[in-house]
Amino acid sequence: MTPKKRSVDEFTYDGTRRVSLLTAIRELVTFRECIWSFAARSFRVRYKQTVLGMAWAVLQPLAFLGIFVAFFGGLVHKGSGASYAASVLAALIAWTFVSNGVAFGGDSLIADGDLVRKVYFPREAPVLGAIISYIPDFAIGFVIFMIAAPLTDAHLGWSLALVPLLFVALMIPTVAIALPLAALSVYYRDFKYALPFAIQLWLFASPVAYPVTQISSDWRWLYALANPVVGVLDSFRRTMAVGVAPSWDLLGISLASGTLMLLVGYRVFKQLEREFADVI
Amino acid sequence: MSSDMSTTSDTWSVRFEDVSKRYRKGGARYPTIGAELSQAVRRLAVRMRGQRPELQGTIALEHVSFEVQPGESFALVGSNGAGKTTALRLLARISAPTGGRVRGRGRVGALMEVGSGLHTELTGRENIWLHGSILGLPRQEIRRRFDDIVSFAEIESAIDTQVKYYSSGMQLRLGFSVAAHLEPDIFVVDETLSVGDASFQEKCVERMSSLIRSGTTVLFVSHNLPAIEAVCDRAIMIDQGREITQGPVKDVLARYIAWMEDRRIDLGALDDNQGAVRIVRATCHDATGNERSRFAPHEPIEIRLEFEGDRPIDQPNVSVSISDGRPGSIIECSMLEDGNAPATVGRRWECRLHLDTLPLRPRLYQIWVEVQEAGGRGQLMEWLEVSAFRIHAPLGTGPQAVVAAAMGGAVDVPYRWEVVE
Repeated sequence: MTPKKRSVDEFTYDGTRRVSLLTAIRELVTFRECIWSFAARSFRVRYKQTVLGMAWAVLQPLAFLGIFVAFFGGLVHKGSGASYAASVLAALIAWTFVSNGVAFGGDSLIADGDLVRKVYFPREAPVLGAIISYIPDFAIGFVIFMIAAPLTDAHLGWSLALVPLLFVALMIPTVAIALPLAALSVYYRDFKYALPFAIQLWLFASPVAYPVTQISSDWRWLYALANPVVGVLDSFRRTMAVGVAPSWDLLGISLASGTLMLLVGYRVFKQLEREFADVI
Repeated sequence: MSSDMSTTSDTWSVRFEDVSKRYRKGGARYPTIGAELSQAVRRLAVRMRGQRPELQGTIALEHVSFEVQPGESFALVGSNGAGKTTALRLLARISAPTGGRVRGRGRVGALMEVGSGLHTELTGRENIWLHGSILGLPRQEIRRRFDDIVSFAEIESAIDTQVKYYSSGMQLRLGFSVAAHLEPDIFVVDETLSVGDASFQEKCVERMSSLIRSGTTVLFVSHNLPAIEAVCDRAIMIDQGREITQGPVKDVLARYIAWMEDRRIDLGALDDNQGAVRIVRATCHDATGNERSRFAPHEPIEIRLEFEGDRPIDQPNVSVSISDGRPGSIIECSMLEDGNAPATVGRRWECRLHLDTLPLRPRLYQIWVEVQEAGGRGQLMEWLEVSAFRIHAPLGTGPQAVVAAAMGGAVDVPYRWEVVE
């Protein structure tokens, strides 16, 4: 019997020592197809046995748009060039990605508890997969926005080219919240039940129904620091609906705070993941 | 780490270094967040003082060390709850050790439970892709093995059907097939082979053997002792999370079988021993009346049974059955058949059964007892396993002597071989 000739990837599993984030990220790269499979599966399963299918992807933002326009359309109208509807829709499409990503990413470990209990894979994979599986929904929302642009009076411009970059920026707070949330939900289901409510609150704490200019310019930096989606959502509104560049300082503050949250959240996740299979 | 571990060579494929695993107290019950936080603060304080925090929770493994060489097949034996499955879960990296280190070289493929990792909303085809990539397999490798996986699992006609419409047998076959075709460097198998139909089981053993032949390291947990002896080179025996012994598979199995035999039955604690007639003592004696539990083949045995009852009983019919742990009895002696029931007995009485010869092969035998009313109209005491004895003889020298002696046919007859050409 001769041992197989294969590149030996040695692993040490030491429950009492911390895994370095670099090691963790390297493993994620190795398992990228696993993440992709989780994403593809979540996407395929999501609209199975539904009548409306992919239409669900746009129903949620459109419903909110209707509500906001009906109730706040008259109140908030210090728009920065674009119509209220265009501003809200641009922010809503981005927001829908965040809220779905956090809600389903946060629930994904419990949903895949059976797998977690039985198979090894990087525990981030189902969370990231769930978030990634909402990219098509975002794309559909974007297309709807473009189609509706003449109706909503959006000012389309060169700044639309920044949307893919902004989308990457949108991923940061989404992942930063979803990862620790998923981990904590494994231990305490309270998070699961508090989540829909918390997301509603978060929506009103974010510049979706109102532009960020509603906040006094003295406090805007704090707003963007405390809520890392502020700068990103504002940028979506500016680039898509108004046709101007993002306000870079606001975006920068939100990105910095989002990245910090991501680091802390990921650390929490890695700390808690050791006992996932035992307590889930 | 124990000192003898550090002297071994550096060629290992799997290495457990003083591994402990404890589960949280209370199992599924979650402590409050407050308790969790205060616990975390306390642990942090201990760490700050430069000490290691004390381990907490129920013990699943305690200071277990072993090493498996590349290409070796290694068995973990022990009774239920001994910690075997926990050890495999640690190696498969499903859960983390609370103490010590688990180390491995190469990709671990694990087969732990029926249909592990199948998603029932997806089709068989989608599941193969998903499962393969979850186990870290690149797409082209899945593509290369796809047809093998499908034909091995015998699900060609159902490949595009959602797995929720599969029978449990089909799910098992699919799960095993995917896990077994990933060509892992370390293959971890947990008792799954006992499920499925006979022909598929045979295929599984064949596949395992071919993996072993091709140099895969195999860690095997099973209650199927013949399979362990046939497949494995070395073994470790665990009880209540602690190592009892480890070494060549024959020695460990012999020790394990002997250990199983030495467990005594606490008759007073039996739930089913609370009827109108209860057994209080059951012992075996040799020809001179000495109590013993070990006998040579064909040696006479006397079984003494002490009963107590709530009232005197007319014509209690005692039956004694001897089995070797498998379904059915090998020997049955019953007053219902021979008509030797005593006319009447008091509240406390003893019954002695003399077996003048026992033509039995060396292994452990269980004694079962039942008492029926006069005429066999109803049970005064239902069938209970009350005691055990062991027939002891030198072990044969054949390659599967340990297991054959433990699991083969039970009746001992003088025999000899003659080979003619």
